[in-house]
Amino acid sequence: MKGTSGTLDLVCPAGTPAALRAAVDAGADSVYVGFRDETNARNFPGLNFSRADLEDGLAYAHGHGVKVLVAINTFPGAGNPGPWRGAVDAAAALGADAIIVADIGLADYARRTHPGLRRHLSVQAAASSPEAIGFYHRELGISRVVLPRVLTIEEIAALNKAVPVETEVFVFGAMSVMAEGRCSMSSYLTGKSPNTVGVCSPASHVRYLDTGDTLLTTLGGYTINAFSETESACYPTLCKGRFVARGKTSYLFEEPTSLNAIGILPELMAAGVTGLKIEGRQRGRAYVAEVVAAFRRAVDAAVRGEPAPPTDLVAMTEGGCYSAGAYRKAWY
Amino acid sequence: MRQSHPLAHRLVPPLSPVLVAGLALRALPPALFQPVLGLAMATMRRRHAGAFERLAGLGEPVFLIDPIDLPYSFVLRAGARAPSLTAIRGGHAVRATATIRGPLLALIDLLQGRIDGDALFFSRGLVIEGDTEAVVALRNAVDGAEIDIAADMASLLGPLARPARRLAGAAGAVYSRLAEDLETLRRAAIAPAMRRAGADAARLDRMDEAIAELRRRMRRGRMEKP
Repeated sequence: MKGTSGTLDLVCPAGTPAALRAAVDAGADSVYVGFRDETNARNFPGLNFSRADLEDGLAYAHGHGVKVLVAINTFPGAGNPGPWRGAVDAAAALGADAIIVADIGLADYARRTHPGLRRHLSVQAAASSPEAIGFYHRELGISRVVLPRVLTIEEIAALNKAVPVETEVFVFGAMSVMAEGRCSMSSYLTGKSPNTVGVCSPASHVRYLDTGDTLLTTLGGYTINAFSETESACYPTLCKGRFVARGKTSYLFEEPTSLNAIGILPELMAAGVTGLKIEGRQRGRAYVAEVVAAFRRAVDAAVRGEPAPPTDLVAMTEGGCYSAGAYRKAWY
Repeated sequence: MRQSHPLAHRLVPPLSPVLVAGLALRALPPALFQPVLGLAMATMRRRHAGAFERLAGLGEPVFLIDPIDLPYSFVLRAGARAPSLTAIRGGHAVRATATIRGPLLALIDLLQGRIDGDALFFSRGLVIEGDTEAVVALRNAVDGAEIDIAADMASLLGPLARPARRLAGAAGAVYSRLAEDLETLRRAAIAPAMRRAGADAARLDRMDEAIAELRRRMRRGRMEKP
């Protein structure tokens, strides 16, 4: 483990081998990646790792004392487990440190076929109660659970006292205040969802139209947002669309505000969290380098009991602003 | 510089040495740049073949790369069989899979992975049109390729690489000084307008306060009615 974080694990994203090297160089403890197919929830064009890429990435990361986690966190289609099982087999054969799974059947396959391969439960499984997490640990040998982004720090602390596994929380990225892995909004407009084919609002269904003073975003042929000249743009997802309700146009589900927990790392540590996850496998290596380095400094300062060093990650956020999200929930 | 394009009034080019150089170069025919562009693409294929492999699922995509501060656009044919980069004037007649528009230095930074494409898009510093999937694939492919233009060009020069690097460093220093001078010029040019805008903003703030006060009084008046 790098840095001075002790038992904390700074888990960082990589969509390409170059981003993996950037994450390692910037101070990641672990890097999570996915294969170039529908077996992971960032199945974007031009992104992700071939088997050969992963082999090289593992050599680089392990050479620097950094772990590599492979996300195989979509749900196999009925009667088609092959690609998902193949991904598990490949991760095991290449020497990945853990896989991140969401599907019960796939977790069971991994437990039976590769019992020595560590299994993390993806946020896509939306497990947030001691009973659910206990089941995954007892029956499927899950070692770590990535918690949904809907819990307060107090709820996480209580959960950690009641579960026999490590927990991991998102510290930077989208707010995603919903039951991840169960959202079908993308399917509603495009027929494709992150849960099955690994893409939310696939780029093939997105068009931008800049009329000069307004940027229109369309998804599946429907206009879902319009940005004035001075507004920041955001991802073209239905949850971040603007709709007219009761005569007023507004964000109904989620505003384009990013999650940034860099200011509350000591509280997350005190709550017993092990993994601190930075989101963004779809982002460039400049994002990876800057955000990982900022969190490396902040985590090390938190472990030493020092105040967080000043950082400015606004330029990396969606919507140009951020909040501590549900960790300091102000809504019920 | 491109009065005919409908987006010309939103994407105003930054006052930079690139803009000045573009104005100075606009009389030159784009074909003059073709040998350098051909060499750049050959180097790209040789040193960054993985980038084309990441684009393989797209067939033979054609990207119109449009630096808003240059009088030229670039047509990138990114199919693995015969990739090419061509400078053109205008670009409206090109049947492009997608168009990517922004300041030249931002596009170069994107190419070299120095800035994050999503962040640039969020800040509205980049405009994309056409097939979004193709643009996302291109962005991911070049970001993953670890392109370093200086190193790529140096690889072509053999023993001349070292002096070329020194020359490039000196040119970079001249560029930085020129950019600073132009920034000073820009500030001086817009200072009177900024002062007027500041005064107008203060006036609008006072008006907002007055309106809010009037509304409060109206509400109180309504509540006090029997």
